[in-house]
Amino acid sequence: MNGNSRQQVIPPARLSVKAGFVVYSHNDQERKIIILDKGELVALDNTQSPRKILFTMHPGDLVGVAALLEREPFRYDLEATVDSEITMVDEDCMESELKNIPIWLLAVIRELSARNRLRKINSRHSRANNPLISLAEFFRHLKKGEPYPLETLVQEFCWQTKADASDVKEDLKALCRRKFVEISERAQAGTEGAGPVVTVTQPELLELFADYLESQEQGNPWQPLQLSLNQKKALVRLSITENGTPQDPPAWLAFFQKNNIALTAADWIKMQSLSWFDNPKDNLFVPNPKKIQYFLLALRYEINLRGVL
Amino acid sequence: MKLSAGDFLCLEGDFASSLYIVISGTLTGTCNSMASVKRFEPGSIIDIFSLLENTTREYTLKAIEDSEIQVVDHEQLKTILDEKPSWLRSIIEFLIRRNHIGEENKRKSDLVQALPSLLYLFSGLLKELNRNTVPTSLLTEQATRMNGTKPEEVHKLLRILQDLGILKVLEDSVQVESRELIHLLYETLRYRALERKISPNILSMTDQMVLTVFIKLSKQNKAPLRNGLSAIPTSELKAEAKKSMHGMTLTTRTIGSLVEKGILTPDTTLDFHAALDQSEFFFGDFDRIMDLLELNRIFPLLDKKLVE
Repeated sequence: MNGNSRQQVIPPARLSVKAGFVVYSHNDQERKIIILDKGELVALDNTQSPRKILFTMHPGDLVGVAALLEREPFRYDLEATVDSEITMVDEDCMESELKNIPIWLLAVIRELSARNRLRKINSRHSRANNPLISLAEFFRHLKKGEPYPLETLVQEFCWQTKADASDVKEDLKALCRRKFVEISERAQAGTEGAGPVVTVTQPELLELFADYLESQEQGNPWQPLQLSLNQKKALVRLSITENGTPQDPPAWLAFFQKNNIALTAADWIKMQSLSWFDNPKDNLFVPNPKKIQYFLLALRYEINLRGVL
Repeated sequence: MKLSAGDFLCLEGDFASSLYIVISGTLTGTCNSMASVKRFEPGSIIDIFSLLENTTREYTLKAIEDSEIQVVDHEQLKTILDEKPSWLRSIIEFLIRRNHIGEENKRKSDLVQALPSLLYLFSGLLKELNRNTVPTSLLTEQATRMNGTKPEEVHKLLRILQDLGILKVLEDSVQVESRELIHLLYETLRYRALERKISPNILSMTDQMVLTVFIKLSKQNKAPLRNGLSAIPTSELKAEAKKSMHGMTLTTRTIGSLVEKGILTPDTTLDFHAALDQSEFFFGDFDRIMDLLELNRIFPLLDKKLVE
């Protein structure tokens, strides 16, 4: 020991092997990177009969990086098909070399390795940002009042989104608690078609819920729950207005005034920004029933949306 | 390199052969393909591939507080690797290659995985809106919320489906000729994935030929629909089948699977051991059969198209 670890580089093992030599077995405990310098190696799956060649290595090829750097299991055996020369980098050798490279290069190697590992982990999980929003979006397209077998539905959702079934069932409870969906037993246990079923009571509420959650997540106030008392009154008045005749803004303000709802110009601008009125033509406006219904539902089911039942 | 809060370090798309390591402070990164802002804190490595392969900058980087950055360029890497055993270079090159392959595979698998939910949402919106067009923005928004599908993935999938002739991508909406076809395609994929069997919607070549004959005769048929169904006399069906199906004789057995699947209905209960003439007419829903034939045309092409 000279006290300077930076000097202690353990060289890799270089081997010359004959054809048929098993260079590495998947049962080997020691992890290593194998670089083929000369000759040819094959990766074999010896668990199958007849054994199966997975791939062939040519000079310059290497295997075992994931095993050494990412602790992944080595899934095959390596065998020389002709007399070959190989370089083996084991953990000690790798570690000693990594101690002798600049820290930024070590970080680069780690980052490259981590990205691969992370990508593999991510590919097994749902890509949806918010699982509850994802589930609400799925349920809003189901038929209102139709009983769907719970297990089948969860399976279908998981197939679409890669969500975990047990997490989905937990999220489903959140929708049940808010009374957006109902879970019931379809038939007595043991009879045909028995098992829990899910029924969507009002699909529109799930759309609202997804919008509400998204606003919450982004830290934005959700407009339907930000209305002033007069704006709420105007909304209710608009919802019972039949065949809204196109009118200009002063006529609409006069209409609200006549119905004892004192709106300001700011209120009118806000109502437009909320799309309560359809595209203006020649400065004439008509109520947008779909949007009005959306806001009304939000007001009516505010408690359900907030989940404070 | 020291940066003051508010300083820009680089612009997205600049050619570069160096990476940045954040030593202290915080940087934010924005790029056209990403709506959100990415934060880089001490220890973050930015633009790793620029160092290794001379690519373009991934983000426009801005310091949001006084920061210190280490810049490592290609020359520095080359100098180090020249001094090191060649296997170290091989390992780094291997890791880069694997990253690229992994990225490409992920891109393809994300696209394949995004298709069912897109079809599900599309089918749902067509029903909800009760028309043959859906605003692209609405479809994209829902696909992103439900499955994390990126807008560019939605556009790519829509273009693939357009190439297959299922829909038409318009300026700001997507138009279909048959609403039911989108649903059928989704159901067929769902059945294959969850039941691990070929969907009953996927028909044999013989079934498809019989249905093509049925459609041809339905188009020529001047008789009014019966309960909304086309009715084709069995004698005409047999004669046309002989012409169109290379001299093949239409029998009860040939038509049996279509009857069992409820696609064609005889005017009497079919005895599968008796001659086909036992039934005077065969009924079928013209639109449904057209959709099924269309589904069977596109389905074998879909998987290949997705990974192209």
